[in-house]
Parts: sequence; C-alpha cells; structure tokens
Amino acid sequence: MVLSPAASGPPAGDGTGEHTPLLSVDRLVVRYGAAVALDDVSLEVGRGEMVALIGANGAGKTTLLNTLSGIITASSGAISCRGRLAHVPEGRELFPDLCVDDNLRLGAWKAASRDPADVYELFPKLRDLARRRAGYLSGGEQQMVAIGRALMAKPDLLAIDELSQGLAPNVVQEIGRYLVRLNADAGLSVLLVEQNARLALELCSRAYVLETGRIAAEGPSSHLKEQPAVQRAYLGGHVAT
Amino acid sequence: MSALVQYLITGISQGFLLALLATGFVVIYRVTKVVNFAQGAFVVFGGFITYSLLGAGVPQGVSEVLAVLASAAIGLVFGAVTILGKMTPTASLITTIGLAILSEAVAMLVWGTVPLTFSGLSGHDLHIAGIFVQPQYLLLIGASIVVLLVLWLVLERTYVGKGMTACASNPYAARLSGINVKAMGLLSFAIGGALGGVGGVLITPLFPITYDSDVNLAILGFAAAIVGWLTNPGLALAGGLAFGVSEELVAGYWSDANQTAVALALMIVLLLWQSHRRQQVEKLV
Amino acid sequence: MRFLRSLTGANLPASVATVVIGAVTLILPMMLNAPDLITYVTIGLSTMVVAGLSLLIGFAGQVSLGQGAFYGFGAYAAAIMALHGWPPLLALVAAVAMTAAIAGIVGAVLLRLEGHALAFGTLALQLIFLSVLNQTPSFTGGAVGLTSIPSLTIGPIAISSYRSYAYLVWVVAAAVLVVSRNITRSRPGRGLRAMATSPAAASATGVNVVSYKLRDFALSAAFAGLGGAIYAFFLGYISPDAFPVMLSIEFLIMVVVGGLGTISGAYVGAAAITIISQVLTAIGTAPTLPPQLPNVLSEGVYALLLIALLRFVPDGVVGLASRITKRLLPTRWRPVAGHKVAPAPAPGRVVLEDAGSPDHDAAAADPGQGTSPAREALSRPLTSTDG
Repeated sequence: MVLSPAASGPPAGDGTGEHTPLLSVDRLVVRYGAAVALDDVSLEVGRGEMVALIGANGAGKTTLLNTLSGIITASSGAISCRGRLAHVPEGRELFPDLCVDDNLRLGAWKAASRDPADVYELFPKLRDLARRRAGYLSGGEQQMVAIGRALMAKPDLLAIDELSQGLAPNVVQEIGRYLVRLNADAGLSVLLVEQNARLALELCSRAYVLETGRIAAEGPSSHLKEQPAVQRAYLGGHVAT
Repeated sequence: MSALVQYLITGISQGFLLALLATGFVVIYRVTKVVNFAQGAFVVFGGFITYSLLGAGVPQGVSEVLAVLASAAIGLVFGAVTILGKMTPTASLITTIGLAILSEAVAMLVWGTVPLTFSGLSGHDLHIAGIFVQPQYLLLIGASIVVLLVLWLVLERTYVGKGMTACASNPYAARLSGINVKAMGLLSFAIGGALGGVGGVLITPLFPITYDSDVNLAILGFAAAIVGWLTNPGLALAGGLAFGVSEELVAGYWSDANQTAVALALMIVLLLWQSHRRQQVEKLV
Repeated sequence: MRFLRSLTGANLPASVATVVIGAVTLILPMMLNAPDLITYVTIGLSTMVVAGLSLLIGFAGQVSLGQGAFYGFGAYAAAIMALHGWPPLLALVAAVAMTAAIAGIVGAVLLRLEGHALAFGTLALQLIFLSVLNQTPSFTGGAVGLTSIPSLTIGPIAISSYRSYAYLVWVVAAAVLVVSRNITRSRPGRGLRAMATSPAAASATGVNVVSYKLRDFALSAAFAGLGGAIYAFFLGYISPDAFPVMLSIEFLIMVVVGGLGTISGAYVGAAAITIISQVLTAIGTAPTLPPQLPNVLSEGVYALLLIALLRFVPDGVVGLASRITKRLLPTRWRPVAGHKVAPAPAPGRVVLEDAGSPDHDAAAADPGQGTSPAREALSRPLTSTDG
C-alpha cells in the first residue's frame, strides 16, 4: 500500500479544473490476524469539503483513521493524501498532566511555528484556560484543545473521530459551528467520523456509511437522509451501538 | 555522635548515588514502560571507563566527562536492543536482564575481578561537625544535586522534555502529534545511561566497585524508584536518600552483613504498602 | 489413521515426537556412564523447575528471578529434616510443601504488583535467602553447607545409584510436565492466558486473576523445591554456592530457549543450557586461559543467547521446530491451525482475540490447540485428548 508523503500541494482548490481529491482511499483492506477490519474501503475527500463517515461502534471507523495516520499498516489498497492530515482521536486523548498551552504546542511538533495564537483566536475560551492542566477540563473544553492541537500542525485535512462522544448537545453544536467556520474561511477539509449520523449529515455535504468494514452507502447528505435504510439504522430513534 | 555524623554523610552520599540510579529508572520507565534491569551496569561502566582513561593519561575531569558520555552511548545501545522492533513488555524486561548479565561478563573480561578505584577530588579533608570528611563526598552530593536539578529543568521546562512527558502519559496521542515515541524512548535510555555514569564517576573514588556491583545497586536503585511509583523523580530522590541513610545506619549500628537484607525487606514492605494504596485508588476510579 | 488421531488429539506429528523422545530418554540411563548420568539428572531436575517457570511467565505473565531461591530452599529444607532423622521421603514431601507455602506468602505480597516489581522482588528474595544461609551456620551450615545427606528411600527401596536417580528423575519430571500441561489446558489455564493479555478483560469475565497468579507462583515454587530436594539427596552435599543468583538466570534462559509459555520446551531448554554450560566450562578451563574466563564465557554466552532469542526467536526452539514441521508436513497431517478455527471448542473457553494483541506469547503458545507439533511432541504423556 502506498501513503504519499505529506507534501503540501497546491493551495486550496477553487473547484474549477481537474478534480484531484485531497484524500483518496482506494480499496483499503486492513486485517487483525484472521479478522478483517476494513474490507475494500474506498472514499475521497476533496479540497475544501466536509465529508462524513457514519458508522456504528465496531464498524471500523477508528481503524480507518488509524490507518490514515500511519499507526496501522494496511494489508492492501492505497492511500493518497495530497496534503497534511491531522487526526483528532476518539476520546480526545490529551496529555493530562500538561497544561493546555503545552498540549497545543506539542501539536506543532512537526510544524514550523509553535505559536498557538491562531488556536486561541479560534477558541477564545482556551485563552483563559491556557495554564490549566488538561486533565482538569470539561469534555467540551478538552475537545477544543484536541482540535486545537491537531490544528497546530497546520493540516489541510482534519480527521475527527467521534466528535460528539460524551459531550452535551449544545457543546457539540458550538464546536460544530467552529468547524464549519474553519472550513468556510480557511478552506480546511474535514473528515468527520461519527456514530451520531444526524450531526454528521447536518454538518457535512457528503457522507459515507461504514458497516462492518465495508462502505454500505455513499452520496450527498441530503440524499442519504432520505434513504429508508439509513433512516432506520442511524436516524430512527434507537441508538445503533 | 561523630559516628552518627559519619554514617549520615556516608549514607547521604550513597543516597544520592541511589537517587541518580532511581531517576534513571524513572526516566526510562515513564517513556518506555520498561524497567531497566541493567541500570546498575551504567554505574560500573562509568567508574571503570574513568579508571581506564585516567590510566591512559587522559586528564582528571576530562576522563570523567568522557566516561559519562560513554555511559550515555551504552545506554542508547541498550535502549535500541530493548525497545526497537516488536517487543512485548515481558520480552523487554528479560532483555534488560540479559543486558545486565552481558555487562557483567564484559566488565569481568576487560577489567578483571579485583575492585577498582581511582583518586577523586584531591585536597585536604574538610572538618564538618566534628569529623573529617573527604572532599569527594561533598563533590558527590553537590554534583548529584546539580545534575538532578538540570535534568528536572530539562524535563519540565524544555519542549523536548515536555515531549518526553507526552510520550510517557499518552504515547498514542504523542504519535498522532508527530512525536517519534521510539526515538524518545532511546533518548530516555541515553539519559538513564548518563545518570548511571555520573553516579559511577562520583562514587568510585569513595567505594571501589567490581564487575558485579551492579546487582545490589540495581535493586536498591529500583527500590528508591518504587518510592516514587517509578514515575515521580522527586519521591525517587527522597527514596534514594532514605535507603542510603538507613543502609549505613544498619551497617554501622547493627552489622554489615544485614544491611542489604534490611534494605530489601524494607523494599518489600514498601511494595506491599504501595499496592494497597493503588487498590484503594482503583476502587475510586 | 483416524484411530491414531482420536487417540492423540489433533496433533499427530507432535504426539509421535512425544513417544519417541519419551522412549529415548527412558532407555538412555541404561547406556550412560557416571558423568553423563549426572548431566542427565541435572537436566531432569532443571526440567522440573523450568516447567513451572515457563507456566508462570508464559501464562501468568510474571517473570520470577527467584526460582533459584525456591530450588535452594527445597534442598535445604529436605536436607535439614533428613539430617535430623526424618525419613527422607517425608522430608522431601514436607520440603515441597514448605516451599509452596513460603511462595504463597511471598506471592500474596508481590503478585499484586506488575511484572517488573515481581522480578526485582524475587531477585531480592534470592539475595535474602543467600544472606540468611550465610548467617545461620548452626542451622544451615553457613558458607560451608551441609554434608552427608542420606540417600532417598521410597519405602524399602533405597535410591542411591546415579542410574536409579536418573529413573526417579524421569518419572518425577514427566509427572511435573503432565501436571503443567493439564493446567494450561484447563479452563483456568486459558483464563490465565486471557488475563496475561488483558487484565481488564479477564476480570470482566469473572476470572479471578490474583488467585490464579498465586496458584501458578506457588506451583512453580513447589516444582523448584521438588527439584532442589531431590538434588540434595542426589548429591549428598549442598552449600550456598550451589544456588547463586546466576542459577535463577539460568532457569530463565532455559525457559526462553525452550519457548516462553511452552511446557514441553522446558525439557529442551534445560537440556540445551545444561549441555552448553558444560561445553563452555570445558572450553573455559583449559590450562592456558585466564581464570575468570569460564565465568565470562558462560555469562556472556547466556546473555547474548537470551537477548538474541527474545528478539529473533521468541517462541524458542519448540516454536521454531513447530513452524518448520508445519511447513514440511503434507496438509493432511498438519495440526489444526490456530485457536480461532479449532473444531468443537470446549464450552466456556475464553476466545482470545489477536487484534493488535501486544503479547505475542498468547499468539505463539497455546498448547491447548495443538498448534505446535514439536511442543506437543516433547511433553510427556503418550496420549492426550484435546480440549
């Protein structure tokens, strides 16, 4: 399998000209021993797009993201990313004993500048919390730090795993708005990986549905919302686990 | 009274040696989750290499520094063997045991079995609290404090130091942030090697060492590190001093032969108490 | 063919090898002379210790550096009692029981902690043991040790010749291997394995982690004590020099050579290291070489062996052999592959997921499924039922 080096490609696309997606995953297969976690998965994220990947627990969403970030090696298939990818992990995964400011700065390990000013501008609440130990923050605040940390790497694509996990709905909405703004103003592409299909389809223009390692459905969010199968499984009131 | 002061000074110096060792254990464990059985070997190498360099005519001062650098390099190699590639925690632990044995064999081969020493800080004995104290003792204490302080500053205040802490607390997130966790692990081993080397350089003028000095040192250093739960250098320092002083007191007031046994028994009691505490904490989680 | 298969379980090649090796080692004592018989007995005694240690490390995930202490304790306990007039057999049994009891007490303390603490704790135990020996000369003979230990007598039979000890050791070692094997195959054995890979998972399924660890720890100590007690009767003379820290390390190396977590590997490891050790001693004590060379050689070789094996052949000789035979055998005769695909799983068995499991021991060493013919081969029972 091939992971293209994360060279920064041409500036954010303007939609005209050739369609070269920022991220393209082609027939990805990932195995754990004899079990197959991802089976022939293909998807794309274009420049400036917000794309959702919906799936229940165990569908393979985290596996996919871990493969994208290089933590897991795929058995076959290809991944090609024409830009930098930053992965916001499920459950935030901060450095609990370090303060917010340190957490942010560490996100810039491979970046040119360690200055978190931009992140503080995006999430003004974090300014007051800069010296607070990350372990002591609320869920929403932690999520902002996690996203901020990922943004410090100056990525072209932000992949977020389970944004809504453990967060109150209003907090999720607020963070969602931040993401939309980032996408609109800075052209940041977003891959939103979610159990919460309603949220994902609301924020993103296009979506894939992942079921037990396979892409079960894909298309514009508006279409997917109408599909009865999707409605039953993900939007119909019972929580898919 | 003067006997007590004597024991205290010897004890505190030994204690700082143990603290250096213990800090090495802590630094390595925090980042790699490996307990480095070969930690004591760095002390031996530090002392022996200094001995050889001095014997070859390298000036005092330069020899010591080179020996510490060499110990750091040895630490790096040990780290590479222990953590690179796919190693389970058990395999890593046993590997460090193997490295400790290997170190003994090499030390025996190169330097023989006779205890070695070299002259340390020269100068008149100082008069402290009614007894005469060799200046080397003060060098040991002073240098240890400086080294530990510098290390603390590096770990707590520098970017790389925080990177190490990040690897320690959340290797997955560290990796996602682009930090090379394995490289940090190797760095921690190099630091552990340097710390042991410093200890060896400072202690050998006072207490000659042999190829198998590493076992006792490793056990006591580990015991001190345990006081800090293997993760807290400050407590490890306290533990080192406590063990150092109590060992000397036991040797002085009771019997030489019992000192190790007492220290070990103390360690076991400590482990027991700690596990009790941990269970209590776990009940809350 | 089918009859044979049902008799021996899924692993025919392994069972064949078992029969062969069992037979060979049984008739060997008749053909060996005195010095070789000593080697034979040493290997057999080490096998007992190593079987227990392999169980402890491979299945309970606990690295003990104190088996030498338990070995020595068994030896001293048996010797002291025999010298005070106890019938030797009774002394032997009592010594084993006492060793297990001590291990139970020590283990209750040390096993609550993670692996590395146990390693240091047991090492400390070894040092304390040696210290105590040297400090109580009136009781233990101090540095000089104990001599004139009477021979072992089982009822009216006195076991005094090297050959008879060889047979005794064969029987006892076989028994130890069988017991160890059965433990690994029983449900607690598998539960232990799950626990070694994920304590949280194990406790969630109700497996009582601590008590199994303790049982394995005490059992491995008992095996070591058993070996030590027989050793005392065999040699007739023991001293602290016979139980140095290196002894514990040697047992550890034997485990790694045989294969972490394999029971049959105990024999392979014991044999290999004992023989290597003798070769090294022979080389090292040639007259023109420096006096410390034997020690350097043996320690150096052991250390390099240990490090290299852990890195390149972590499943040991047995694992290697099983991988080779698997490739060479026609498919029909190959043992049933992998624990996820075994036929008719026993009810209540914990299924071990491989996904990203950090503990390769689990993947490499599950004798219950017969994945390794060589491993099966070298374990004692001639027949074994699967599952």
